[in-house]
Amino acid sequence: MHRVIEFMKKVWGFIKKDKQLIAGCIGILILFLMIVFAPVIAPENPHYYGPDALVAPGELGHLLGTNHMGQDIFSMIIYGVRTSLKVAVISALISGILGVLIGGVAGFFGGKVDTVVSEINNVFMMLPTFFLILLIVALFGNSITNVMIVIGITTWPSNAKLMRAQALSIRERTYVNAAKALGESNTQILFKYIIPNGIFPVIANTTMGMSNAILTEAGLSFLGLGDPNIISWGQMIYEGKSYITSAWWISVFAGIAIILTVLVFYLLGDGLNNVLNPKSGRK
Amino acid sequence: MSRYVLKRIGTGILTVLVVFVINFVIMHATPGDPINYLMGKDNHNEELRAELEAKYGLDQPMHVQFFSYLKTAATGDLGDSIIYGKPVSQMIGEKVGATLLLGLVSGIMALLLGTVMGIYAARHEGKLSDWLFSGFSYIMNSVPSFWLGLMLILIFASGLKLLPSYGMTSARVSYTGWAHIKDVLIHLILPAVTLTAILIPQYFRIAKSSVLQVTNEEFVMSLRATGMSEKKIFNKYIFRNAILPTVTIFGISMAFLITGVTLIETVFAWPGMGTLVLKAINQRDYPTLMGIYLVMSIAIAVVMLIVDLIYALLDPRIRYQ
Repeated sequence: MHRVIEFMKKVWGFIKKDKQLIAGCIGILILFLMIVFAPVIAPENPHYYGPDALVAPGELGHLLGTNHMGQDIFSMIIYGVRTSLKVAVISALISGILGVLIGGVAGFFGGKVDTVVSEINNVFMMLPTFFLILLIVALFGNSITNVMIVIGITTWPSNAKLMRAQALSIRERTYVNAAKALGESNTQILFKYIIPNGIFPVIANTTMGMSNAILTEAGLSFLGLGDPNIISWGQMIYEGKSYITSAWWISVFAGIAIILTVLVFYLLGDGLNNVLNPKSGRK
Repeated sequence: MSRYVLKRIGTGILTVLVVFVINFVIMHATPGDPINYLMGKDNHNEELRAELEAKYGLDQPMHVQFFSYLKTAATGDLGDSIIYGKPVSQMIGEKVGATLLLGLVSGIMALLLGTVMGIYAARHEGKLSDWLFSGFSYIMNSVPSFWLGLMLILIFASGLKLLPSYGMTSARVSYTGWAHIKDVLIHLILPAVTLTAILIPQYFRIAKSSVLQVTNEEFVMSLRATGMSEKKIFNKYIFRNAILPTVTIFGISMAFLITGVTLIETVFAWPGMGTLVLKAINQRDYPTLMGIYLVMSIAIAVVMLIVDLIYALLDPRIRYQ
């Protein structure tokens, strides 16, 4: 128990350095609580087609109204957190891991490996990512798994670029030379020293990437390429588009939910950036 | 300089080649068969199938198909749409103007507004205006473009009935001359405002942070020590240095625009490339999709190359590296 308190104090000491980080952490905590307690908070099953269709907000016990199928908007928004965060976290993880490995190897080994990897990186950075994602999802099926994987494997280059720069500088440090002298293998050095010491900018960047992943998923859903089996805010906006003049609430609230969630990740990413890279923040 | 230019051109060419390969692999690995679509659902006529496959070259081995694709694409022939039978290059040509109009107008507006806001916020750091502009930029960064478009339609088109929400020209009347231009401009307002608002944050951020960064550099401190006026230091030294990164951002965002505009075009039924993409996806029109993706990618590669070269011209630090 004592240790837990110590740890919490340490975490708080880290967070309180930056206002944006505080705001972001509070936001994440709220989103997390909404995921865990969704069945308690939401008054209805979001998949349930109720008898009252297109009910305005506040009427017949529907806080935010219902859509054309009689689904409760408030419940859909609560359950939508799950989809958005799932997409954000998993695609960011894929993109982060790929970026760290590729960038780390390129920066650490240098030479030809670096040239080739950097060139691949340059090429990837010039490709129109959203269009590529759109193509793949459109052609290979719009399951949420596909969406997450495709977002992950098309967004790693920025992470790789950051990790490479870190690895380039860290490999010159004394402790890396010491480890080499002690006979540690390259793989060991890469995973024990280079990656753990250089990963911080990637973490901040990945957090920013999560907000982009959420926006991308919403955009795909809006084009009718969302997963029809799940509750997604982008899809709610897509469905609400046809009713925008008569039942504005279907699209409006889902959009606000997206903005707030994306904002939380931006704040978190900016905050982490300020705290982890003292150079970039001026505070 | 020439080494740098050659290197950039090399990357550009490589990118285009990679695009060709990606394009080809994706289209061929895809489930779904355009021949099925052409023949109709319950038609199992083998002869018709063979005939159609031969007509579109789908009976050839993979690498033959790839090289013939490369060869014909190099002459500007992107094939015919399987659905409309029209040349893909012609279909793109018909639509690209509308996309460029929307993209360029919004891109330039965002560049001007965002940069001015960013510089102003940096010069008044910590004051109310900085706080307001930064807040606006934060929120616009988080807003899905298509949702913002819908909200503007809700307010200005269906609520206040001030502006049209649909298409590029009025459907009932066909104007000519000035009246036509006026008509297009009125239709342009809502989509352009949406796109501008979405693009402002990147210019705002880069302008603000680079002005702040340059202001804190040592040469500025030296200039201050010589007693030069703040206004002169800013106009002569800080502004020039701080504006440079904006060039890169403009290039990247123009590249992004060509694809990112798809969502906004869908909302406003703007008759550009985005609408074409969506139609092609729904109809599994492979040649059209491949053509659009190819043209977009090449356009992006070229734009980014030009931007890098301009940047190198403007900033000697890059040139002599």
